[in-house]
Amino acid sequence: MVTEPIAPDACPKISARARVQTDKVTGKPVLLYPEGVLVLNPTGHAIVSLCTGESTLAEIVRKLGERYKTSEQTILPEVTEYLNRLRARNLLEVSARIESKP
Amino acid sequence: MNRSAPRPYSLLAEVTHRCPLHCPYCSNPTELISRRNELGTEEWKRVLIEAAEMGVLHVGFSGGEPLQRTDLEELVAAARTAGLYTNLITSSLGLSKSRAEALKKAGLDSVQISFQSDQEAVGDVIAGVSAHGRKLEAARIVRETGLPLTMNVVLHRENIERLEQLILLAQELGAERLELANTQYYGWAFRNRAALLPSREQVESATKIASAARKNLFGKLEILFVIPDYYSDRPKPCMHGWGNRHLTVNPSGDVLPCPTAGEIKGLRFENVRRQPLAWIWAESDAFNRFRGTEWMPDPCRSCEFREVDFGGCRCQAALLTGDASVTDPACSLSPYREKLAAFIESIEQRREGSSVLEEVSTTLLYRQNPAK
Repeated sequence: MVTEPIAPDACPKISARARVQTDKVTGKPVLLYPEGVLVLNPTGHAIVSLCTGESTLAEIVRKLGERYKTSEQTILPEVTEYLNRLRARNLLEVSARIESKP
Repeated sequence: MNRSAPRPYSLLAEVTHRCPLHCPYCSNPTELISRRNELGTEEWKRVLIEAAEMGVLHVGFSGGEPLQRTDLEELVAAARTAGLYTNLITSSLGLSKSRAEALKKAGLDSVQISFQSDQEAVGDVIAGVSAHGRKLEAARIVRETGLPLTMNVVLHRENIERLEQLILLAQELGAERLELANTQYYGWAFRNRAALLPSREQVESATKIASAARKNLFGKLEILFVIPDYYSDRPKPCMHGWGNRHLTVNPSGDVLPCPTAGEIKGLRFENVRRQPLAWIWAESDAFNRFRGTEWMPDPCRSCEFREVDFGGCRCQAALLTGDASVTDPACSLSPYREKLAAFIESIEQRREGSSVLEEVSTTLLYRQNPAK
């Protein structure tokens, strides 16, 4: 798979054409997008939930580190790999942080 | 419910066969359903709710041209309320700004617009009507409304060399996804295959361009390249298996394992007006006929890929051999492979410098419209 680094100060945001919903059959969260579905495991769900375009990659990794009591160095490659899977389907917008936001 | 029936994931709702376009590769059957036989609003709503209850996650509103239904907004809203991801598969003719806004308000998740070409003149000849300019305008409206856009192009001999320009057009339109779908030869396209089939060289070149563009546009445009199986060694995993993930409901309520399953003689399709959708999916003969691997003859039965490609496409087997239960002739292991190879060779010899556009007046058969 093609991978590209995501800048630590970039703000990943799940594309507007994808949305998270609870699957009626399994009760698990799923990410729905045109002609596809990604079943979210708890970590995946946590990552996707933080990709709102308001947090930087560095902040997302810090929050996940706190939640899972793991070092950011361990988490960063996992998060990057997960986000790149979404980017391969063009389901993630990666824009620079908007400075005017508090 | 039949315990061996898997969970369906997607529903194609062919809400009408009426269409302003006349594309000679239309995926609709050659015998079209008339307006007076179409399911009504309440019937469609029930189908959508039943589908969601069965586990279906996606509904594609297709046709014909789904915008021909004035109740489309109501159907989208019903689907969305039932928890379905809603995709509009459209020519875009009839998609005004107000209609796009109403559909968005109804909860539409995504819009897929078909383009016949990047060039107006070619596009209009293929569509059989002046459409290209209106599509450009509709694509702009879709983006302006804030709806996600997929651009779809059916590829054939006349437009497959314009892949780079088509990819540029997708970027210009602000599409997030581009489907480059080589013509699948069923129905109208099967009748026109001698005129539409690209050469092996054209396909190889297009595959390279699509693959390079996918890398270059990583994270910017999702590019899907649907291979033409006439030139493949392995058959496509058609519908990910018969009655495995997908169902189609046609305009009159017949439930089919795929949009073209009507090609197969001797299959009886049940109708949502008479049976619950879940029963049709799990118990009906049509859905169970080629489900799983039990039905397979050799070479499929003992093949290590039997659960990878599911023996290919049943409709294609029926069309090319007269028997839906044999290995898809697109497979190099098929005993009928020679038949397909001979066809490809015959059309390559017959063509010397002619083009689809030239053949329009002589051999190309345009899709017609259903009776009123």
